[in-house]
Amino acid sequence: MKLLLVEDNERVTRFVVKGLQEAGHTVDNADNGREGMFLAASEPYDVIIMDRMLPGQVDGLSIIETLRKSGNRTPILILSALSDVDERIKGLKSGGDDYLTKPFAFGELLARLDALSRRSQGSGTQTVLEVGDLRIDLLSRKAVRGERSIALQPREFKLLEYLMRHAGQVVTRTMLLENVWDYHFDPQTNVVDVHISKLRQKIDADFERPLLRTVRNAGYMLTSE
Amino acid sequence: MNKFTSSTTFRSTTFALSFGYIVFGIVALVLFAAPLWYAWDVTVEDGRAEILHADTQRLADVFHREGAIGLKTFIDARVGMQLPAERILLLADSSLHRISGNLPVWPRTVPAQPGLYTVILDLGGVPTQSVVMRTVLPGGYNLLVGRDVAKFAPLTRHFWTGLGGAVVVLSIAGVLGGVLIRRAILARIHSIRQTVLAIVQGDLSHRLPSRSSGDELDTLSHTINGMLDQIEQLINGIRNVSNSIAHDLRTPLAELRSRLEELSLTRPNTEETFAEIDGAVADVDRVIRIFNALLRLAEIDTGMRRSGFVQVNANELAAEVVEFYSPAAEVKDVRLSFNSNGPILVSGDPTLLAQAVGNLIDNALKYAGEQGLVTVEVQHRADNLVEISVADGGPGIPDTEKPKVTQRFYRGDTSRGTPGVGLGLSLVQAVAKLHGGTLELTDNNPGLRARMVIEPGALVSGRPRIVTGPKSESSQTKSEPKTVAL
Repeated sequence: MKLLLVEDNERVTRFVVKGLQEAGHTVDNADNGREGMFLAASEPYDVIIMDRMLPGQVDGLSIIETLRKSGNRTPILILSALSDVDERIKGLKSGGDDYLTKPFAFGELLARLDALSRRSQGSGTQTVLEVGDLRIDLLSRKAVRGERSIALQPREFKLLEYLMRHAGQVVTRTMLLENVWDYHFDPQTNVVDVHISKLRQKIDADFERPLLRTVRNAGYMLTSE
Repeated sequence: MNKFTSSTTFRSTTFALSFGYIVFGIVALVLFAAPLWYAWDVTVEDGRAEILHADTQRLADVFHREGAIGLKTFIDARVGMQLPAERILLLADSSLHRISGNLPVWPRTVPAQPGLYTVILDLGGVPTQSVVMRTVLPGGYNLLVGRDVAKFAPLTRHFWTGLGGAVVVLSIAGVLGGVLIRRAILARIHSIRQTVLAIVQGDLSHRLPSRSSGDELDTLSHTINGMLDQIEQLINGIRNVSNSIAHDLRTPLAELRSRLEELSLTRPNTEETFAEIDGAVADVDRVIRIFNALLRLAEIDTGMRRSGFVQVNANELAAEVVEFYSPAAEVKDVRLSFNSNGPILVSGDPTLLAQAVGNLIDNALKYAGEQGLVTVEVQHRADNLVEISVADGGPGIPDTEKPKVTQRFYRGDTSRGTPGVGLGLSLVQAVAKLHGGTLELTDNNPGLRARMVIEPGALVSGRPRIVTGPKSESSQTKSEPKTVAL
């Protein structure tokens, strides 16, 4: 992916650029609003990572608004220390696609970037999803692995659907909480892990090759490789 | 810095006030006196004219009956009776030669035409203001009947002197009163000022003096004292919280610091270093988690989230949270049961309500113990409040500790060693308060029953908002607060 990072904090920039490059992405970065605006408007990017408070009179939100007004549809992830609900809503209303609060875990950023780029490509109107020999039908709400059909609760099905839509990508616990349960809070204990292990029981337990993997310090990934 | 300006302003206001009162008093006095004077004047004058008319008439009657000689005799008799000095009576012939009366000659100041006049007459060598009526009788006789009004002059003068005196007295009393009132008010304002200055300098224990007289300044003092109580309470609250924050953040920060310092000093092999770094990241995550919880509490406390209230089915919401936690209960070998009573609509913040219910369940699961039972129940009570209760059969909380567990960072002795940051119940309480309710902790014999009681809210006051706006948007776009690395 080709990414643009607009961020004025040097240390955060170095950390994010290095990490993204190691993950195989190309990263441009701008340390002020004006340069960020110029790059975002002139180069094609897969995802833009935008800090909100920037030096140089142009703040992150006004860049996003300007881009959106000029018809630029590049997915934008807002990275900000402003964590109030009101601030988030403001950020998303201005045209941002996702909002990540500082401080953040790098795995979380990477996973969300993947999800954003995938969303922009548009997985379209698929009705059947497949990962390896696991197959789910979104219309009949049925899951089959190999020859065997797997009985899933509605919520388990939703969890599996989300994982399959993001197959091959790391999905964090927070992403699961937000997208599968629509919960936007910290549930204190490792409830998501318990749900995952239950799902794993159903789809992986009796099979030689496990599909659902735990990615240390980040989250989970469903993959057949 | 505005000591000077404020006292000058005050001085000018008291003076303006007393000056205003004086002017007002004088105007009122004049307004009162003027009609009185007018009425008096008119009545006296009218009465006087009437008397003169009557006198003239009577004399004219004598003249008609007994002729000029008869009248002369009559007048002579009257004068001889020594009529009161203020009476003037004079009869003269057509060439104005005196025939009879108490004036030596016909006064020249009296106009030639018959009528009523106010003139200056020479009475015994003294020019005196008089009112006279001149009448011409048949045969050219002139009759002058009058009254010396100089006697009334002192009366008039007394009236005006009295009025003037009243004005002077009023002015003096006004100035004096103004000064006294000012001094009294200044004294009280001064004491208020002293107290407020002491408070500004940081001693919040001071209170404004109150006299229990119930006057305006006293009411003001009471109100300000109430405000000070509230401020003191809030500041104490903040102090407690910041002490707790200091304590609860210091612990993971201290761990983090020693971990990093040890790494820097001992330079262990790569694998060990990485393990320590992972541990350090976990320490930081703990700190971040506490921060997030505190920020959310602060956000709830300010009441800002009320703007995001939508119509929520409390029953469904609780059912979903129960479902969310049920695998965790299974792992702990705790039975998690849910008693539903059909849809119960409330106006609220779905995320916060779910988090609050989640915290209660999470708490109950922690203490229920193996093979325990946790019961979640939602009901619309008879008093029109909605109660979401979570009961466990664990050790419960002693009555003495119940009020403390909702305090921020408080962790009961039984909770030492269990994970958590001691903010769970504080959050539930804050959420309940935001929804116009309370968190009640009661005994479940054995165990604890936590009841979150909330008001169905805006549904009653109209304008229920349907879950389309903020919620659907946030669910599509992942707008809500998240935590790093759960």
